[in-house]
Amino acid sequence: MADQAVGDFRQSIESLGRSTVEFVEEFGYYLALTFESFYWVVAGPLKRQPVRFRAAVSQMVETGIAALPIVFILSFAIGVMLAIQGAHTLKQFGAETQVVLGIALSVTREFGPLITGILVAGRTGSALAARVGTMQVNQEIDALRVMGINPVRYLVSPVMLAMLLMMPCITLFSDLAAMLGGAVYCNLDLGLGYVAYWDQGTSFITPNDVLQGLLKSVIFAVIITLIGVSNGFSVTGGAEGVGRATTRAVVLAISYIVLADMTFTYFLNR
Amino acid sequence: MDQDYAIRVENLVTHYGPRKILDGVNLAIKPSEINIIMGGSGSGKSTLLRHMLGLHTPTSGSIILLGKDIARISAAQLHDLRTNMGVSFQGGALISSMTVGENVELPLREHTNLDDSTIGIMARMKLEVVNLGGFENLMPAQLSGGMIKRAALARAIVMDPKMLFFDEPSAGLDPVVASELDDLILKLRDSMQMTIVVVTHELESAFKIADRIIVLDHGKILLAGSVEEVRNSKIERVQDLLNRRSRHEEIDAEAYMDRLTGGTATLQS
Amino acid sequence: MAYQVEEDRGFSIVLLTGDVDLSCSPDARKTILDCLGSKKNTLVDLSNVTYIDSSGVASLVEGYQTAKKKNLKFGLVGVSGPAMSVLELARLNKVFPIYATVEECVNTDG
Repeated sequence: MADQAVGDFRQSIESLGRSTVEFVEEFGYYLALTFESFYWVVAGPLKRQPVRFRAAVSQMVETGIAALPIVFILSFAIGVMLAIQGAHTLKQFGAETQVVLGIALSVTREFGPLITGILVAGRTGSALAARVGTMQVNQEIDALRVMGINPVRYLVSPVMLAMLLMMPCITLFSDLAAMLGGAVYCNLDLGLGYVAYWDQGTSFITPNDVLQGLLKSVIFAVIITLIGVSNGFSVTGGAEGVGRATTRAVVLAISYIVLADMTFTYFLNR
Repeated sequence: MDQDYAIRVENLVTHYGPRKILDGVNLAIKPSEINIIMGGSGSGKSTLLRHMLGLHTPTSGSIILLGKDIARISAAQLHDLRTNMGVSFQGGALISSMTVGENVELPLREHTNLDDSTIGIMARMKLEVVNLGGFENLMPAQLSGGMIKRAALARAIVMDPKMLFFDEPSAGLDPVVASELDDLILKLRDSMQMTIVVVTHELESAFKIADRIIVLDHGKILLAGSVEEVRNSKIERVQDLLNRRSRHEEIDAEAYMDRLTGGTATLQS
Repeated sequence: MAYQVEEDRGFSIVLLTGDVDLSCSPDARKTILDCLGSKKNTLVDLSNVTYIDSSGVASLVEGYQTAKKKNLKFGLVGVSGPAMSVLELARLNKVFPIYATVEECVNTDG
């Protein structure tokens, strides 16, 4: 009986050890991939193997411009919800005019980057995993390698570049859309004028608040790219494997984004 | 010494986990010859090819291409070496987001500073060589299986490589198209003096184009020799492969029945 | 690769020698296009070519096409064995005017 317990204990320690090693391994791989994709942006032109800026531009259009409608709708909705909840809560203290402060701060520091991160993870992260995964299954990645074309330079660096540039832009757009959502609700329910709303909002938030949100969005950009691409590279088992990798990429990216957000918020607001 | 052989494989051993895929393979391939690597599925022939392409690192042993040990050269040297290698993968592996023409131009765009017009002409010339003239604006998805293989071949030879690797050229093709592809491979050896390595299990095509045939079985080379030597080989396993026989094993009646019944069912006597 | 240009009976003759490969075919291309650019009928002498790759052949193709646009003559002279087999691969031996010697070209012209 005791032996059994010891055995179980050892087994669970072993599996804990194994998953720790796997986690460290995966984390190391992410770091290496990040480093390599930036390396090519800088060193590529020197080695006459430049990163494809045209691919980066089309990725920017795909990630950024094409996402604007959905980002607008969801951010607007979040803004309305924040206004409703804020007004409701503050009414109990008779301070519903302070609602603008709550909206402005939580949008720029929290909800703008978060909603953008989740949306882009769903759109671009999955598309990346599917694209790279399909290329892996069709041996297109092998073909690139034997042609002397580094797959990280060719496939990852342009995406990384595009994501780093686009995420802050979409986040800013999301901030504005959410603020507008809040404004519309405040106007209809509390009779607060748009100009007054805007003046109040902008007087409360500092550039620092906005920057905090944008910094988060840059980290989310790296997370989405790494997880999308690495899940694509590790696809095995044909079309089914591509499907699995795509799902895994989205779930992982969203989880990491939320966890990173929490960590970040904790350390920035101590 | 090194110059006598375009490709040398020395004592190559590879494990996948506990499984030994290649078990001490030694090979020497002369320039401007067509070498066929033959073997049944699971013989290790695809793994051997991936090693020669530098896509896998062996457990031990070395692969020497054009006098350079690919496991021991720098990334820059490997990069240079790869401009001298053309590879046509089994499924073609054309980049699906690019047109046929862009696929064929890709190595030139990546590795040369040639003028756009020169690159265009070179790519279209190679498409002509593989009888795909005028198809450069189609997407890979619009091509048939045979056309994809030919387009992949055009891309493989667009840099005029010294070595050409071909994985299962005739798999999944009808006999007429497969035989056209064989003729093309012969033409490339004769007019471009390419060293060609073809991995296949198609006997007919192998006998038609081979200068040398290497028969691989369970990770070991059974035989390497001319078409005649392989045909006349007395090695039983080689003859089995040639006659498409699987090894006849004594049937263990009890074990066989156990397998059929899933091992658990008790048969009524 | 080495190249030189001679004038002979109204033709510019571009003599290519040695290996014509990626490293030097841009020079060959420029030389050929320059000759045609100065409105000269042009012949490319390939008798001393030990090897020509497809970038070299592409330059010849471009020369042919440019000459045609400008109504000039363009041809290959004394194509060596190695050069011929590369031309044959893309069936270009049936497209280019190929002459054994400059004389032959001048005579057919006359």
